Amino acid sequence: MATTSAIDVVMPQMGVSVSEGTITKWLKQEGETVEADESLLEISTDKVDTEVPSPGSGIVQQILVQEGETVEVGTKLAVIAPEGAEAPAAAEETPPEPATQQAAAEAEAPSSSEGETPTPEAAPPEPTPAPAPAPVAAEGNGGGEKTFVSPVVARIASEHGVDVGQVSGTGRGGRVTKKDILAFVESGGAQQQEQPQEAAPAAPAEPQAPPEPAQAPPKPAPAAAPAAPQPVAQAQQIEPEAGESVEPMSAMRRGIAEHMRRSLDTSAHVTSAIEVDMSRVVAIRKKLKSEYQKSYGVNPTYLAFVARATVETLRDYPWINGELRGDRIVTRNYVHLGFAVEIADGKGLIVPVVRHTEGLNLLGMARAISDIAQRARDKKLLPDDVQGGTFTITNPGGYGTFHGTPVISQPQAAILGTYAVVKRPWVIQDDRGEDVIAIRPIMNLTLTYDHRLVDGALAGRFLRDLREKLESWEESNY
Amino acid sequence: MSRPGYAYHLREPVGYEEGWELQRRVADSVASGLLPDTVLLLEHAPVITLGRRSEPGELHLPDGAEVEIVETDRGGKSTYHGPGQLVCYPIFDLTRHGRDVKRYCRDLEEALIRTLEPLGVEATRIEGLTGIWLEAPPRKIASIGIHISKWVTTHGYALNVDLDPAPFTEWITACGLENAAFTTIARELGRPVSVDEVVPHAVNALETVFELELEPLTLEQLAASGPARV
Repeated sequence: MATTSAIDVVMPQMGVSVSEGTITKWLKQEGETVEADESLLEISTDKVDTEVPSPGSGIVQQILVQEGETVEVGTKLAVIAPEGAEAPAAAEETPPEPATQQAAAEAEAPSSSEGETPTPEAAPPEPTPAPAPAPVAAEGNGGGEKTFVSPVVARIASEHGVDVGQVSGTGRGGRVTKKDILAFVESGGAQQQEQPQEAAPAAPAEPQAPPEPAQAPPKPAPAAAPAAPQPVAQAQQIEPEAGESVEPMSAMRRGIAEHMRRSLDTSAHVTSAIEVDMSRVVAIRKKLKSEYQKSYGVNPTYLAFVARATVETLRDYPWINGELRGDRIVTRNYVHLGFAVEIADGKGLIVPVVRHTEGLNLLGMARAISDIAQRARDKKLLPDDVQGGTFTITNPGGYGTFHGTPVISQPQAAILGTYAVVKRPWVIQDDRGEDVIAIRPIMNLTLTYDHRLVDGALAGRFLRDLREKLESWEESNY
Repeated sequence: MSRPGYAYHLREPVGYEEGWELQRRVADSVASGLLPDTVLLLEHAPVITLGRRSEPGELHLPDGAEVEIVETDRGGKSTYHGPGQLVCYPIFDLTRHGRDVKRYCRDLEEALIRTLEPLGVEATRIEGLTGIWLEAPPRKIASIGIHISKWVTTHGYALNVDLDPAPFTEWITACGLENAAFTTIARELGRPVSVDEVVPHAVNALETVFELELEPLTLEQLAASGPARV
């Protein structure tokens, strides 16, 4: 069946300080064909002229903002009609909710949770990397983009006699989501929300929601959308049993759930662990801490040390920093390091990526980690901040856990877990070469790797080398 | 902390179209990762370029003026390039520099201020008028115009080192600024100044502001880097 899913082109975010842009030139006119990623228009801000690539392939159906006009980021600029758009079969039954793309934006959407029960023992032992919005979204079909109003939104709007144009959208690029329209209706924004039945003039209930392409273009900033008040979306009513309470799953939660399941279905997860004597790191950190904080306002965390040593070690283990792409093995001469960051009080995770960490020393690494974690919590991440990771570190050790088996962030080959530094009795050799027991700060590290690509011996050597680097840390080396 | 990059100083004046072609080639290589951030430093043969925001009234060439006119894809309005002006094209991947077009403009201005400082010229910004100015009375010494595609920058700045600034006002209304005065480093210092003298300061300033370590790039390296795509 042919869909009418149109693709929206919106004013992209050109930097945190940039709130608007001027259309200088349409490179394609209405009726012309455009390919995904082909330059569609040029915008200018200040003395900078920027090409905006088309978010999808199709025909330029409508140009909404003319040359010379200045509009805010997120404003819809044009609509592209996909050429012979065909329905991705897998998406057929999925509710047309912009699930994964909005993960970052909705990270902190308030939700009612009085009845939340503590996580049972059987749950995964630790937070694992969240799906970066783009990789997850990239699972969808090829060239598509969000419809500006999904069929379900259109149906709800028409049932309630709501003009969608009056609803402020929190979706990508100001798109009105199902949640937005439900919130609008609930807040009394619609004139006739009391009589939905009567208000549905020509809307035959269409249960089969046409699918929505799930491809996310890399440009528009997901972090820009404000969190919407969350109405209880009652797509399917689930009646709580006595003592239970029910809350809707956030888009981010759904994204995480999907990614975790897919990762376990994709990679052959195996975990190896090693114990590291952190004495040198502890001593050096103690020494550097006040200097770093005084001079740079940065805390040299254990994580920064481990990350720095990991990047060094990955240099010798390109497959662990690699990826299986089809039947090819992809390796890189750089490390884009992802860090799993918890947000919204344990209700969400995101994996911001520090790019080109091979060029960072300890100070640079500490600074980059603190910067990106802060921006993740402040919801100031840009799309590129969560894309393109080649290896991930997850750090659940802050709670005292000493072991775990995280899930790999696809399509990467491995993930490193770092755990609490704990003082433990440790057998060492004294000056005369005799075994004695000393008190040493020990940190466990785990490497969870995709056994399709990485064998146990390789993982073992990687962990051994990483331990060696941490145990023999020289201040001047890093 | 600094990242490696290349600086390529072309010693002979370059035709505008030729320079533009070179920029595009380098930008392709930077975008595909074949080259790190790369700076082209050069002088152009006399040319008037029209930016995306040029307006009709900006051009008022006298009869017989020996100058080429080219419509470009950079931001800003019309300007003039010629020998004695340092043209600097930083071809940077802004995903490594904050992904913020305004910040990039401010950083280029900062690099210009730091280029002029060791030469004894104290320059400044004027709010709302991108470019670099000397004060009291305001006179413009450098202009900025940028193009970005896939976060890779082309074009950049033009710094007046030692040339007759008449074309900025007599031939065109440069940058669309009526009654603006234009000046040069030589005029401010009251001595001849060569572009070659300014280039090292320009490179140092870019290294500082953008946290780069710029090695000289040879033509052979440049040829080897592109235009092949991955």
